[in-house]
Amino acid sequence: MATSSGGGATPLKPPAQPPKSIPELTPTSQNQKLQPLELSPNPITPPNLTSAPPIPTADSKQPTTPATVNSRPREPDFDVIHVPSYSRWFSWNDIHECEVRILPEFFDGKSPSKTPKVYKYYRNAIVKRFRDSIIENPPSKENPMPKITFTEARKSIIGDVGSVRKVFDFLEAWGLVNYFGSPLTKAQLKWEDKESKNVSAASQQNSDNGGANSVGDASVPKKKFCSSCNSLCTIACFSNIKKDTTFCARCYVRAGVNSADFKRVEISEEVKTDWTEKETLHLLEAVMHYGDDWKKVSEHVVGRSEKECVDRFIKLPFGEQFTGPPDSIEPEENVHKAMDRFDIESNPSKKMRLTPFDDASNPILAQAAFLSTLAGVEVAETAASAAVKALTEVNIETSKEILESSAGDARDHDSVTTNGKSNTNLLEGAYLEAKLQLEKEEQDLERTISDIAEVQIVRFEELELQMEREWQQLRQMQNLLFADQLTLLFHKKDGNESMEQKVKTELS
Amino acid sequence: MKPHPAWSSLRNPVKFRIPTADNLVPIRLDIDIDGQRFRDTFTWNPSDPDSDVILFAKRTVKDLKLPPAFVTQIAQSIQSQLTEFRSFEGQDMYTGEKIVPIKLDLRVNHTLIKDQFLWDLNNFESDPEEFARIFCEDLGVEDPEVGPAIAFAIREQLCEIAIQSVASAKETRINKKGRRGAEHLPLSKPGGSALDTLKLFGNKSSVIRKRREWDLYEPIVDMLSNEEVDALEAREA
Repeated sequence: MATSSGGGATPLKPPAQPPKSIPELTPTSQNQKLQPLELSPNPITPPNLTSAPPIPTADSKQPTTPATVNSRPREPDFDVIHVPSYSRWFSWNDIHECEVRILPEFFDGKSPSKTPKVYKYYRNAIVKRFRDSIIENPPSKENPMPKITFTEARKSIIGDVGSVRKVFDFLEAWGLVNYFGSPLTKAQLKWEDKESKNVSAASQQNSDNGGANSVGDASVPKKKFCSSCNSLCTIACFSNIKKDTTFCARCYVRAGVNSADFKRVEISEEVKTDWTEKETLHLLEAVMHYGDDWKKVSEHVVGRSEKECVDRFIKLPFGEQFTGPPDSIEPEENVHKAMDRFDIESNPSKKMRLTPFDDASNPILAQAAFLSTLAGVEVAETAASAAVKALTEVNIETSKEILESSAGDARDHDSVTTNGKSNTNLLEGAYLEAKLQLEKEEQDLERTISDIAEVQIVRFEELELQMEREWQQLRQMQNLLFADQLTLLFHKKDGNESMEQKVKTELS
Repeated sequence: MKPHPAWSSLRNPVKFRIPTADNLVPIRLDIDIDGQRFRDTFTWNPSDPDSDVILFAKRTVKDLKLPPAFVTQIAQSIQSQLTEFRSFEGQDMYTGEKIVPIKLDLRVNHTLIKDQFLWDLNNFESDPEEFARIFCEDLGVEDPEVGPAIAFAIREQLCEIAIQSVASAKETRINKKGRRGAEHLPLSKPGGSALDTLKLFGNKSSVIRKRREWDLYEPIVDMLSNEEVDALEAREA
């Protein structure tokens, strides 16, 4: 599998000129910052950028994307590779943590054919293929968004197609392939890829989406044709007010849209009938009376089906409010707690920001996202974190139960039953007791250690005394020895002297 | 000949799986609806959930702009091949000392590949994908679609052989039950190549291939012109 060779052995090399370091585009009113990575005097560049002409940005994380230049060294104009700002972590040689998060199957070692190496090979192969295809067929008038299809990509990748598809979907969702950088194109984040981990990120996306999508119904009913696929828009379409173009729902989803400029327009309603003031009034009354019972609401509003009522209601502009979290939802515990926080914190007269949930495959998550868009970004985040905290508290609960069970059996039953009702006092008591016991044990430990230490010290002292004595003895012996030596010397001297005398006397 | 040492490993049946590092199923699609033909080959991971099959079918039809009738057909075809594979999965297979010849003879777009080589069935770490990748690199094959096709061809043949060895294992069991002292006749067919290699190595001949066999085992990569491609396609269709 092509691994780091993706960075090295390919014929692409970093450009000769160092990337210019110019500050990034200042954030425009769009929510997604565009990061064109190379200068493009090429007129092929989509002229629809609302900001100034693309400034080359130094993006150290993409050292090899300017390398697409080198594959056609004669061309003076470079291709612009646009990557949405939320994907700027991408780098050829590294795997970012969000990739690990979103595609965990490659990183958990359960399957020998799904390793990080393989993942990198798939990913780099797909991205490379996309960029090569951009070079071969640059965006042009007839084909402003030359995308590669999954089938094309997987045909050239050695590996099992299921995983290739997942990687491809991920890359497409995050704008690393099939993304063209103009404000007309932004990849839609798909719900099935984003599990609960990304609720807050997604809710941000969705609230931004929703902000644009609300209020889109005032236009005169007329036949709308999609500007990209030229098909009659039937159910819903999205029109770009600024550029005066229209996309049908399919193209909108496929192309990915920058939500700030697009407004959703319900065709079906307008084609059939416009909602008159009276009908809207009726609708509001009905909703106030009947709340969630759309059947009754539709009866109250003469001539509208339930679906139409719901559609109309959620599209009502500023000032309308939900009376509260719909009762028909059956959220999980998390969301319950989240909703509690909603009620405390949410401002009742919030602007409704809703999004079309095209593929909310997980109904619970769809509800969660729906609620979070109602409440807004920060609220959703705090709610999510509070929910997580609550969950962990439940975990602590269960672990404390275990603690208690080791303390005493009789109390166990009570504590289990009462803990089940989240009685925090007992919890705290148990916690404190555990702490006390811990401290006691620590103290015991310290004492025993100090005892042992003392004993050792005493023994050491004895030994030291002994040593001192022996030292003294040694010194004494040394002295004695010295004395002996002296006497020996003296004797020698005496001996010599007497010898001399004797010799003298003998001689004389 | 003395009792073949190869058969000593018959005592140890191995759970059925494709003898490669990753247990992927080769899937071949050949669907014909209203005169429109769709042929494709790829590898599938049998541990993927079955919902992926429909997703894949839909995606493929969308990407290739095929008529929607293909979706169900594709999904069905994939599913049936998968279930067939899975039906073999729990059973044992005897691999023995099997070194089998694998033949490549395929045409991908404009590239024609012919090759033959030996593959060790007992090597459960083998990786056809790696082989294919290196093949393309070494022989300078530019078309990126060739690699997966080679990997697929290898996998398909390995799969067939593995299935055969399961089948033969079943037969020997039946035989054993039926008659005592039955010879392992059914094994002789897939074990044919094993015998060859034993003969080769057993007779103290060198490991180096004989010169006259070199041509047989040399890989051939041909680039075809458009007309040849058309002619071949017409013949196949």
